[in-house]
Amino acid sequence: MMRRFIFFLTLASCCLSFSQNKQILYGFSDIPQSTLLNPGKLIKNDWYFGIPLLSHIHANVGITGSTVYDIFANDGIDFNAKLQNAVYGMEANDFFSVNQQLEIFSGGFSFGSSYEKNEYISFGLYQELDVIAYFPKDLAILALEGNQNNINRSFSTSQVSVAAEAISVLHLGYTKKVNDHFTFGIRGKIYSSIANINATKNKGRFITVRGQNNFYDHIFNLDLEARTSGIASLSEDGSDSNSVARDLKKRLLFGGNLGLGFDVGFTKQLNKQWSFDASLLDVGFIRHTKDIENYKIEGDIVFEGINPIFPDIGNGQTAEDYWSEIEEDFEEIFELDTTATKYTTWRPIKLNTSLNYAFGKKKDKTCNCVKEEGDYLNAAGMQLFAMSRPKRPLLALTAYYYRRLFNGLQIKTTYTIDSYSPYNIGLGMSANLGKLNFYVMADNFLEFKNIYNAQSVSLQLGFNYIFNKNED
Amino acid sequence: MQKQIIKYSFLVVAISLSLLSCVKDVDFDQADDFEISPVVESSLIFFEGQANRFLLNTNEIVSIKDSVTVEFFNSNFIVDNLIKSEFVFEAVNSISKEFQVRVDLINDLELQVHSFTLTASPSTNGNDVLSDHTEVFENDKLEALKNTSKIVFTLSLLSGETINQSTLGRIKLQSKAVFYLNIGEEL
Repeated sequence: MMRRFIFFLTLASCCLSFSQNKQILYGFSDIPQSTLLNPGKLIKNDWYFGIPLLSHIHANVGITGSTVYDIFANDGIDFNAKLQNAVYGMEANDFFSVNQQLEIFSGGFSFGSSYEKNEYISFGLYQELDVIAYFPKDLAILALEGNQNNINRSFSTSQVSVAAEAISVLHLGYTKKVNDHFTFGIRGKIYSSIANINATKNKGRFITVRGQNNFYDHIFNLDLEARTSGIASLSEDGSDSNSVARDLKKRLLFGGNLGLGFDVGFTKQLNKQWSFDASLLDVGFIRHTKDIENYKIEGDIVFEGINPIFPDIGNGQTAEDYWSEIEEDFEEIFELDTTATKYTTWRPIKLNTSLNYAFGKKKDKTCNCVKEEGDYLNAAGMQLFAMSRPKRPLLALTAYYYRRLFNGLQIKTTYTIDSYSPYNIGLGMSANLGKLNFYVMADNFLEFKNIYNAQSVSLQLGFNYIFNKNED
Repeated sequence: MQKQIIKYSFLVVAISLSLLSCVKDVDFDQADDFEISPVVESSLIFFEGQANRFLLNTNEIVSIKDSVTVEFFNSNFIVDNLIKSEFVFEAVNSISKEFQVRVDLINDLELQVHSFTLTASPSTNGNDVLSDHTEVFENDKLEALKNTSKIVFTLSLLSGETINQSTLGRIKLQSKAVFYLNIGEEL
C-alpha cells in the first residue's frame, strides 16, 4: 500500500499533468460553455440550458519531464534504471497536474431592448478539482543515493510544493454588446471549498559538511508547512462512507469554506473581419476557517555526533544526558506541530486572449455569388493562455482554425505550444441535432498513438439544449 | 442536413476513439520491483581530551565507562532496510601512552550481542599518531547491530608512561557510521 502510494507520488511528481488551458473551447461561441472562458463574448443563442451533470465534463492530466511510458514501458529494461533516468532527467520545476470540472447545472438567456438582443445572462454551478505537485528533485536524489556521495551538497526542502483543492462554484454572468465594436462581460463567483491542501511555501535545506569535532556536521534547517481544510473531519473516528458522502454533498452546496471571485472579459471588433478579445478568470480567494488542520516542521539542528564526555573526568554530564538532549532537539524539530490557524488561498488566475480573423462567406446557390449578409464560415487566429501556479506561471500559445461545416456543425482545430509539449494538436466539434447540442474536444492527438507517452491529455464534452428563434 | 450532421459527428467520434485506443505495451506491475539503495553516512561519537584530563586527584584513571541508549538500530526502518553497515573510527594520539576504546553492543535484555575494540597507538615524540579501525557489520554481526538498544564505551589507558600533571599531548577520536540501505519490498 505504502509502496503504491510512494509510487503514485513519484508518478505524480514526474509523469503526469493536467493544464487548465481549454484552447479548443475558448472562443467557440456556438458552445454555451465558452462563456465561462470569456464572459465578454456573446454566445450564439437565444437561450439554453445544460443537461444536468452532462453539460460540461472536463478532464486534463499533464506531466512535464518524463511520461508514464518512460517508466512503465514493457521493454525489458530494468524498472529501477528507468526510474533513475526519470529522476535525473527531471527538474524541480517539473510538475504533475490534474484539473477536472463537472458542470452540475447551467443555463442562460439573451435579452435586450432592441430587436437584436444584445445582452446575455448565464449562470450555473460546477465542481472543480485542481491538483499540482512539483517534483522535489533534491529529496528524490537524497532518497536514491543517500548523502555519502553528496557531502557538501545542499538538499533543498523548498522544492516540496503541492496544492490540491476540490471546490464548487456558483456563478452568475452578464454580457453586453455595447455596439458593433465592443462587447464586455463580468461573472461573479461564490466558491465553496470541499477540501484543500496547500503546501507551497516550504523552505529549508539539509546538508552534510566536513566537521570540526567529528567527521561530519549534519545541518538540518527546516521550515515546512502543510495547511489543510476539510480533510481532518473526514478521517475522524466514527465517520463512515455514508457520513463522508453526506458531508461532501453539504459542502458542494455551500457548507464548505467560502470564497468570492470574478471573471471579466471583452471583445473588440477591429473591423468586419478582425477582432481581439481577452479575459481574466478566477480573480478570487477562499477563506479557510472551518475544519482546519495545519502541520508544521520547523527548526535548526547541527548534529555532529555524540560526545561521551566520560563523566568521571568531565563536568558530570554522562553520554546518556548528552544524547537525550540531542534526541529532544531532534524530536522538537521533526515533531509535527498541529495548529488550526485560519488561512486564505488565492485561486489560480487565468488569462486568455486572442486575435481572430474571420473569412469566407457562404456562396449563394441561386446567384452563384457571395451573400452580403450572414456570418463568415471560417476563422483563424492566435490565442495566448497564462495561469498562475505556485512556482511559475504556465503559458500556452495556440494557433487555431475554425470552420462552420453546416449550420449545425462546427469544428475547430488547434496547434499549441506549452510547458508540456511543443506540438500539441487539438480537435473539437459542436453539433446541433435539432435543439440538442453536443460537443466534444480533445488535444494531444499526436500522442494518441501511445497515450502513455503523452505529457498532457485533456478532454471536454457536454450536452446542451439550445433554443434559437430564427433558426434556418 | 440532419443526416449529414449525424454522419460527420459519428466520423469525428469514431476517429477520436480509434486514436485513443492505441496504447503501447506498458506493465504497471513493474512497480513491484521498485527498490532504491541509498548510502547514508552519519557522525557517530567523538571526543577530545588533554592528557591531564585523565587524572582524578593526581591519580591516573585506568578506565572510564559511559553508555548511550539508542532506539535507532532496532527501529523497524533499520531492521527492514539495512543490508550492511560500517563504523569507521579515527584516533589521533600525541600522548606517550596507548589507549583502547571498547565498544559493547547491548540488547533489550541487557545482554552483550557484540563487542569490538580499537587501539590508539602511543606517541613517542609528542607528534600525532593516527590509528584507525573499521568495524563491518554483515550477516550475524548485522543481526547483532539490529538488536542493539544500548552502546557502552569503555576507554582504557594501556601501556606507557604514567600520566601526571605535566604529561603533554591529547587524544582525539572521531567516528562515523555508514549505512547501506535497500528500500523496496518492505514498503
